[in-house]
Amino acid sequence: MAARHMSRRSFLQKVGLGAAGAGVAFYGPWKHNHVYAAKADKPLLIGLTTDASGQYGNSGEMERRGMLMAIAEFNKKGGVLGRQIETIHIDTETTPATGTRVAERMITRHEAAFLMGAVSSGVANAISLVAQRYGVIYLNSNSSSPTESGKDCHRVKFVWDGNGTNFGKATVLNAINAVGKNWVLFTNDYVWGHETSKSVRALVTQYGGKIVEEMVIPVGTRDFSSYLLKLQQIKPDVVNTAVGGDDIKALRAQVGQLGMGNKPAWVQNQQDWPDVYGLPLSGVFGIFGTTWYYKLDLPGVKEFVAQYQKMYPGVSIKVPGNVYYNGYMAARELLRAVERAGSTNNIKVIKELENLKVPAKDRMQHFDAYMNPATHQMQQTIYLATANDEAAWKKDNDDLFKVLAWSKPQDAEDTDAPKACKLEPYEATPSYEM
Amino acid sequence: MEFVLHLAPHLLNGLSLGFLFALIALGFMLIIGVMELINLAHGSLFALGAYVAMVVIAPGASWWGPLGKWYVAQPLTLRYVLALVVAPVILAFVGMLLEICLRRTYGKDPLYGLLFTFGAAMVIEELIRIVWGSAEKFLQVPQAINGAFLVGGLIYSKYRFFAAASALLLILLVWLFLERTPYGAMIKAGAHDSEMVRALGINLKRLRLCVFGFGTALAAMAGIIIAPIWGLRPHVGVDAVIPAFLIIVLGGVGSFWGAVLAGVLVGLAVALTAVYVSEWSLLSMYLLLIAVVTFRARGLFGKKSILEV
Repeated sequence: MAARHMSRRSFLQKVGLGAAGAGVAFYGPWKHNHVYAAKADKPLLIGLTTDASGQYGNSGEMERRGMLMAIAEFNKKGGVLGRQIETIHIDTETTPATGTRVAERMITRHEAAFLMGAVSSGVANAISLVAQRYGVIYLNSNSSSPTESGKDCHRVKFVWDGNGTNFGKATVLNAINAVGKNWVLFTNDYVWGHETSKSVRALVTQYGGKIVEEMVIPVGTRDFSSYLLKLQQIKPDVVNTAVGGDDIKALRAQVGQLGMGNKPAWVQNQQDWPDVYGLPLSGVFGIFGTTWYYKLDLPGVKEFVAQYQKMYPGVSIKVPGNVYYNGYMAARELLRAVERAGSTNNIKVIKELENLKVPAKDRMQHFDAYMNPATHQMQQTIYLATANDEAAWKKDNDDLFKVLAWSKPQDAEDTDAPKACKLEPYEATPSYEM
Repeated sequence: MEFVLHLAPHLLNGLSLGFLFALIALGFMLIIGVMELINLAHGSLFALGAYVAMVVIAPGASWWGPLGKWYVAQPLTLRYVLALVVAPVILAFVGMLLEICLRRTYGKDPLYGLLFTFGAAMVIEELIRIVWGSAEKFLQVPQAINGAFLVGGLIYSKYRFFAAASALLLILLVWLFLERTPYGAMIKAGAHDSEMVRALGINLKRLRLCVFGFGTALAAMAGIIIAPIWGLRPHVGVDAVIPAFLIIVLGGVGSFWGAVLAGVLVGLAVALTAVYVSEWSLLSMYLLLIAVVTFRARGLFGKKSILEV
């Protein structure tokens, strides 16, 4: 047998051609028709893209717990479509660039069927760009910039939290009528802060108020004394804060120290539970929006709280809040949608989620909720709350809020979102089945 | 005149913030000066100090039975003062333990020391998370320094003034210690020429141990004083270590007054930009550093390198 000689050049050419061929084979059919062999035997893998560190590390941990509780419920009754559900978690570090890397890795390397989780809107947007490219359904469980269901909406993305406009609608008119027309905006310097303040600015102007100053607060600010001194020099009627995470904790502590919680009037667009839990009552002031509270007098709430405490004994946050609730609801509704679709085919599941309607009782809220098919945002009851009475708080230190009022989803709906949101057509969204 | 009246409270506020920044950097500066080690665990030790103080102020009464109940019934002021003493002492021992572990890296590539302290920072932060959880905690302060007072129509926090005054007092005490005591002289000599110090018969090992312990106690003290303003959470140390490092470089590595002046300049820059161009407030400290280092690479009071012409 004659020995075959292969030159270095021809070897490289062959390797190059082979690699190119493999690439064509991989990218071509895979992109649009990703079907796995023996899928029925394979557990369904969900990628949890929640923050474990950074500005929203605490909230990320809470929403992940909520998702895991919903998944555990399904696994207990045999999984979904007869398949057990497994999860993979990678810390998105409250950083959009990390969100992109994590999403890419979960989809391409771990073959996650669905992605869920985000508190920061910057991270949610980054993840959803990757998810849309692959057609992977992504649940934005807790980030609430109006852009998430507006200009940054995607066919694969579903938003479960109320957004800045929803909360603004529930608070602005009441505050203008009850307190006054001169407003100052505290805006966290990232997408959620800016978009929420933009929305509040529009509402204040619409209702006859005036924005006398907007102070942009860099993410990571720990000392608010300069802002608070300036606020006193301006003397506004109302301060609207779109400040989140560790920044709002520091702001609350410092406002409490100055005794400025009552004057001017404070409106925190949305108050996440992990950002306020553990503060003394003096640190909880003003009025703020939320989507759920653990002491709502509604069927199922007590059982839900008990289930949380049973599943997570010994955790530092002893009762669940809105962030946990949103994580739980997002995961539960996704799995129910898969069951209704009878398939993990993403387009079928997307259609199920687009037509989602959840009765109030099932949501543990006051009004029925529904998914807006034009924006992919869950329309739900918006609650207005304030600090609890001292006597009630002394009896139970976890009972920080007093719920003042609740708005129907229709009354708080972000009517500008459908104009800004341009969902990709189904046919432009890669389809897959896991 | 109106502009001056408008500006005056912000200048005062910037000054008080500056003292707090200088306090954060003090322990960091001592360790860099004597040991030529960038202690990346400084922030975590800052946080740990505040957590230990929180326990000293309000331990779970049930832990200690009747003794615990008796202790919690004591006035908050007494428990707070005790925390200001006990927590830094405990942290000094933690720092000494860390230094003993760190010894294996001496004389090797400085990267080993850097990596060691980075690892220590992560371990301490996780330990805090395990012991106290990740939720926000609250460090109680006595009623006398809590609340606010009114001057010229503006409300000021009593605690903030207490914190700034405490920072100033600590800075002066540390300066007196370094300048007027034989131990301070040893530390300064160690920072200047450690080999000569050893040749003179001073136990360099023990000196380093004490300096690390002292620097850690100062970090803890800064943590206790600043926690009621910044809040208390496991990763609060990250917010401290970055400005501390920046202040040391800005002031000149190893310079005591350089660190104090740099702290004040950073405080003023952050406070004033927050008023006039708020989105630049955090960036201003980095811009200040760039501006100074561009024209004076060794910082404001850094020693001239032999490589400089």
